Amino acid sequence: MSAIYEQLAMVVLEGDKDRVVELVNKGLSEGLTAKDILDNGMVVGMNEVGARFKRGEMFVPEVLMSADAMQGGLVVLRPQLVASGAKLIGKIVIGTVKGDLHDIGKNLVGMLCEGAGFEVIDLGFNVDPDKFIAAIKTHQPNIVGMSALLTTTMRAMGQTIKAIEEAGLRDKVKVMVGGAPVDAEFARRISADGYGSNAPAGVDLAKRLAGAA
Amino acid sequence: MSSPNGLPVVVIACQVLQDLLQRLLPPDLARQVTFMDYGLHRVPSKMTWTVQDAINAVEEPSLIVLGYGLCGNGLNGVQAGRHTLLVPRADDCIAMLLGSVKAYLREFNAAPGTYWLSKGWLESGSHPLKEYQEYQAKYGPDKAMWLMDQQYRNYKRLVLVAHSQEDLDQCRLVALEVARFCERWNMRYEEILGSDNYVRRLVEIAGDLSKADGEFLVIPPGGVIQQAQFIR
Repeated sequence: MSAIYEQLAMVVLEGDKDRVVELVNKGLSEGLTAKDILDNGMVVGMNEVGARFKRGEMFVPEVLMSADAMQGGLVVLRPQLVASGAKLIGKIVIGTVKGDLHDIGKNLVGMLCEGAGFEVIDLGFNVDPDKFIAAIKTHQPNIVGMSALLTTTMRAMGQTIKAIEEAGLRDKVKVMVGGAPVDAEFARRISADGYGSNAPAGVDLAKRLAGAA
Repeated sequence: MSSPNGLPVVVIACQVLQDLLQRLLPPDLARQVTFMDYGLHRVPSKMTWTVQDAINAVEEPSLIVLGYGLCGNGLNGVQAGRHTLLVPRADDCIAMLLGSVKAYLREFNAAPGTYWLSKGWLESGSHPLKEYQEYQAKYGPDKAMWLMDQQYRNYKRLVLVAHSQEDLDQCRLVALEVARFCERWNMRYEEILGSDNYVRRLVEIAGDLSKADGEFLVIPPGGVIQQAQFIR
């Protein structure tokens, strides 16, 4: 395993965008594949970010900087990932539910999903159930991902799933939910197909739901 | 001093409710009143064990009044142990500052992107301007503003809530300073005179548990506070 991977994980964790870009370029010039640089380096760093955030050892600003650093690396890698001809592993529609405008986690999931090989359709924040339904009809995704930061807005997840059911689309998509107040028990109660405890876990779940992991 | 419920009353509450509780608690009701640090909810998992520690530290079986809402799941999993817990069935302190869950939902539906300021939050320095100043000291002005933009760009409204005209007047200067800063995201500034009704009822029920209704949770000894109990 190249030492670059470890360094990359570290600089993603530190949120050092310049160093991430530098190391990604170095890795590519040394013949590492874009996919390996992503999976063995940056994603490893981001998984640690997720774990530390959950434990209260990292806070929102640091997570934002790590995400931005990773985004910087992805910009470099994206053409290589596309050129490698890797097949899209699925299509995912994401958004924060109606009433919730906290989109940091959702954006992070979107970025990581894209890195993992998903086509991501981002509906933004405060997304009405009807908008989710319209997006399912238009884009025919494998997965719908919803997030909420507040327990107040978490309820809208159940309402959105219900609306998807009533529109006769529930069997067309897998639904995953996430966000600080969401847990497995809540996901089960509202009949979601799964829950991600943090952004990297959400992406792993998306891969499993798409049958790619 | 025991309550009419036969159990000594102990209050464990967030500092954000300190003013209201100190005003409304009858002097002889509670044997012990503890106000916990502001902002425990920012790391809900830590809040859970901080509140749990405070509960466990009460030796005699008591009626423990928790001055908290679910607070981002901060109370989820808190165990009553030998005590009985009384908890407002609210998502967070905003409902308690506005007087009811209904009032909170009304405001919430009117403008989902509302950032709330209260006397307590202002005094504790928990507001976007202070946050920016802290970021600036740590990361420099550009990075600090970028971080702020990421977190606040979707908000539409900044509301100062207080419980008397006097408090509104007293908080306005700082609130307006915050409001000017938040104009960056086109947030409009409003003031709301809250209601002490929810906290008043909490105190009343602490004196007579039979008055508890669907706005409150009573967790018996051995019970556990669970998120599902808050979902209406």
